[in-house]
Amino acid sequence: MARNPYLPYPARIEEVIVENEAGDIKTFRLVFEDPQSAKEFRYVPGQFAELSLPGMGEAPFGIASSPTEADYLLFSVKRVGLFTTELHSVEPGVRIGIRGPMGRPFPWDRMAGKNLLIIGGGFAFTTLRSAIKYILDPANRSGFGSVLVIYGARTPGEFMYKKELEQWRARDDIAVHLTVDHPDEGWTQHKGVVTTVLEGLKPSAENSLALVCGPPVMIRFALQSLNKLGFADDAIILSLEMRMKCGIGKCGRCNIGSKYVCKDGPVFTREELKALPSEY
Amino acid sequence: MTEKRISHTDLPRLLARLRERGAVHAPLEDETGDAVLTELSSDDLISLRYRNFRLSPKSFLLPQNQVLFRFQDGKEEEPALPDREMVVFGVRPCDAKAMQALDKVFLDGDQNDPYYARAREKTVVIALACTRPLSSCFCTSVGGGPGDGAGADVLALELDADLLLRALTPGGERLLSSVRDLLCDAAPSAVKEAEDRVRAAEEQIAPVKVDGSAQRLSNAYDSPLWASVSQKCLGCGTCSFLCPTCHCFDITDEVRGGTGRRVRTWDCCAYPLFTLHGSGHNPRPTPKERWRQRIMHKFRYAIENFGRPFCVGCGRCIRSCPVGMDIRTVLKEIGV
Amino acid sequence: MTASHEIENRLRATAEKLLREKKVDLFLGYEKASLPFRTTPLLLTAAEEAGRLVWNSFCTVNLAVYLPRLFKAPADAREAKSATPPPKVGIVLKGCDARSVVALIQERQVPRENLVLVGIGCPGVVDAQKAEKTLGEHEALGAGEDAQGSIRAVVEDGTEITLYRQEVLADACLECRSPMPAICDLVLGGPVEAKETDAARRRAAEFESKPPDARWARFQEMISKCIRCNACRQACPMCYCKECLLDQTRPRLIGAGTDISDVTIYHLVRALHTAGRCTECGACVRACPMGIDTRLLTRKLSLEAEDLYGYRAGQSADAIPLLSAFAMDDPQDFLTEPSHLPAASSSAQEAEQARRAK
Repeated sequence: MARNPYLPYPARIEEVIVENEAGDIKTFRLVFEDPQSAKEFRYVPGQFAELSLPGMGEAPFGIASSPTEADYLLFSVKRVGLFTTELHSVEPGVRIGIRGPMGRPFPWDRMAGKNLLIIGGGFAFTTLRSAIKYILDPANRSGFGSVLVIYGARTPGEFMYKKELEQWRARDDIAVHLTVDHPDEGWTQHKGVVTTVLEGLKPSAENSLALVCGPPVMIRFALQSLNKLGFADDAIILSLEMRMKCGIGKCGRCNIGSKYVCKDGPVFTREELKALPSEY
Repeated sequence: MTEKRISHTDLPRLLARLRERGAVHAPLEDETGDAVLTELSSDDLISLRYRNFRLSPKSFLLPQNQVLFRFQDGKEEEPALPDREMVVFGVRPCDAKAMQALDKVFLDGDQNDPYYARAREKTVVIALACTRPLSSCFCTSVGGGPGDGAGADVLALELDADLLLRALTPGGERLLSSVRDLLCDAAPSAVKEAEDRVRAAEEQIAPVKVDGSAQRLSNAYDSPLWASVSQKCLGCGTCSFLCPTCHCFDITDEVRGGTGRRVRTWDCCAYPLFTLHGSGHNPRPTPKERWRQRIMHKFRYAIENFGRPFCVGCGRCIRSCPVGMDIRTVLKEIGV
Repeated sequence: MTASHEIENRLRATAEKLLREKKVDLFLGYEKASLPFRTTPLLLTAAEEAGRLVWNSFCTVNLAVYLPRLFKAPADAREAKSATPPPKVGIVLKGCDARSVVALIQERQVPRENLVLVGIGCPGVVDAQKAEKTLGEHEALGAGEDAQGSIRAVVEDGTEITLYRQEVLADACLECRSPMPAICDLVLGGPVEAKETDAARRRAAEFESKPPDARWARFQEMISKCIRCNACRQACPMCYCKECLLDQTRPRLIGAGTDISDVTIYHLVRALHTAGRCTECGACVRACPMGIDTRLLTRKLSLEAEDLYGYRAGQSADAIPLLSAFAMDDPQDFLTEPSHLPAASSSAQEAEQARRAK
């Protein structure tokens, strides 16, 4: 009998990592209580899951880990409301529920063999971490062309995944450019918005796809720059956020036009989004 | 499938026989004289004089509130799903057809909803064809009709002394077969008369232009008319709650100490807080965006996703709107 | 009593003039609806369309409900920068509706100086559900009223049926004590006097004369039909909170389902929150899709406000709202003085004491 999609898999919080200087973004490392759950929870980078605390409710979060990280899941959570505040207050060892995986992931079949331009802003970098870890895995790397990452944050302290960023910057099979609005002493990398860096680097649109995740203002300007660089609308991949409840296309809350962000998204190409009403 | 016949005076015996195998819900008059689908106990006298019920029978498949699971000390426990068969007698064809629409959402084949699936599996629907439509009915304009049996297992047709019964699904055939000793074959003349009455009812229903609505609505997305047609809306929720095809729901946790439950309850896209993000951003901040969503969902997005409008022309929204908004007028004014 | 069509003509002329002279940006009134026994609100902005306005016994909606959203204050400084100045609004009001507007002014939800209040003495309006019920098997395809105020319905076979006002007037209208708008800028039509000034009190007393178990049972039976759609709240001009206390999730006071305890709390809290503010317009009852008589509670609370504090909502725009003020001679029977409760309640108290003594 098929699993009840409303019932979360039981899991436990093994570790809580504070990501940023402001302390309002934490990464939770979760392990399923039942190894069978881990087998059933087969996900693809770009997907999300609903985290559940009985009594508190649920909220959707992009999966930050890659399926190549076998024994655990990572979720990065920004403290913005009631559920996230509660989640931020729990200690390792606490039981938590996971429903999923949900949503349409990044289009890996189209991304095969392509050069990838990955643009992230602030907290929206979570599923991009999943994508990058997946691409860099030795079993996968040769299946993609060049990889260029541009990641912008307000200050150096606000970057997530600082350890991974350092490791990636040291590699020669990926180029990582970090940029901040307000550098501190000792900041040697870029200053300015993501689009400035992008237009400075002028990546070729030839045989390339761009993944863009960030706040609405960053996305708007990044799209303009990408169009200038020759990226067609179906070569630009975005991931949207929306108020969600069921996550499986039944409660009617997260639609944009005839598409449900939980089921038909959250990943959409710019071309697909243009065909939808701008009600998000 | 041959039509069967039972006299009105014998109908209670049929229902009593069906009660032996499970619950039977049939129209009973409440203290104000309204017909309400109520579970029958022994002596209840059913009444077939109603046009339609206030509440749609969608509550049998998608109740106003439903426990998804209980939890205690952090551990979840699924509720036992109903095992009892249920016969619902007297559902109007529009409401039966609406169940097919809900099937498309809840039994999408991808992530079937187990609560809905069990209820649907256990429910046998006996629809009762209409002979006296209301002026607010428009089932014929949205692919239905007063004698349309889609969504039902058995279709009943009223004559003066008798009820004709026509099995439409294997489940319906099983049901009629189980009471075959109470039934006779219907004469062809009786069948013809019943069908004539249905046709007469069809002719009374004023048409509403819904054909091509998906295309016309997609052209009208930015029309300034949305603001004016929606400004009367109070966001009261009556239309969605009574609508047999509306299915939006909320999921919340109810706790007392260490125990609690996660429940789903009916929700409505016309409520101001329906799409409010945690950040404070609301993609549908005024009645204009919310009304546009309602109409678009029913007459465009549903057609794009499922090939059919999510409206069965039952007219409940028109009759019950406290400020007299009429979905037919809105469709006309938007140029649909 | 001035004929309603005469008032209608004056109303159209008034609205046309107000709009044309730009004394108002928007005129709130009623126009013909698609079903009989009803009208639908009209938010008129074009003077040349004033002919759409109607005035008759089907003008039931309390238009005051639209005012708070027209005058919503900007949420923050950023919104304030791009906000348009508040509109000037003309609105046609029956007695109860006018009291709602005054109550909203009292509570600072609408600015008096932006309103042009057009009052009409109201002989009562028809409850569409009641009217449809009295027709039994027939369905009205059209309805109107004659010069004597009788309601005439044309049914599906073409025959005309006369309905008597007393049978189809809204319950709130049968108990109305304020048919004339208390405060307005102009009045159309002649004075209308309240008929049954004791009706509300008699209805409340009739219910209270039942034994407590019967009262509770009746109340529970009534609200067991509730589907928690919130129509009663949304139709009420005084329920203008951006987020209702009973919808909030932290703390969560009640669930959103139909557990009888949740439903009970919803109705009791809503009644208590409108105590001293309700103008007995009956919009809540007419909005309810399940036919619940929510005025069972609000009627009693309105009478209590009057008996205990001599206060009726919406009588004076300068009056401080009842529960926002106190007077030194308010009843202090709990701590310091003997009971000041009026006679009707005392007998209920005695009956309760007698019952407990058994």
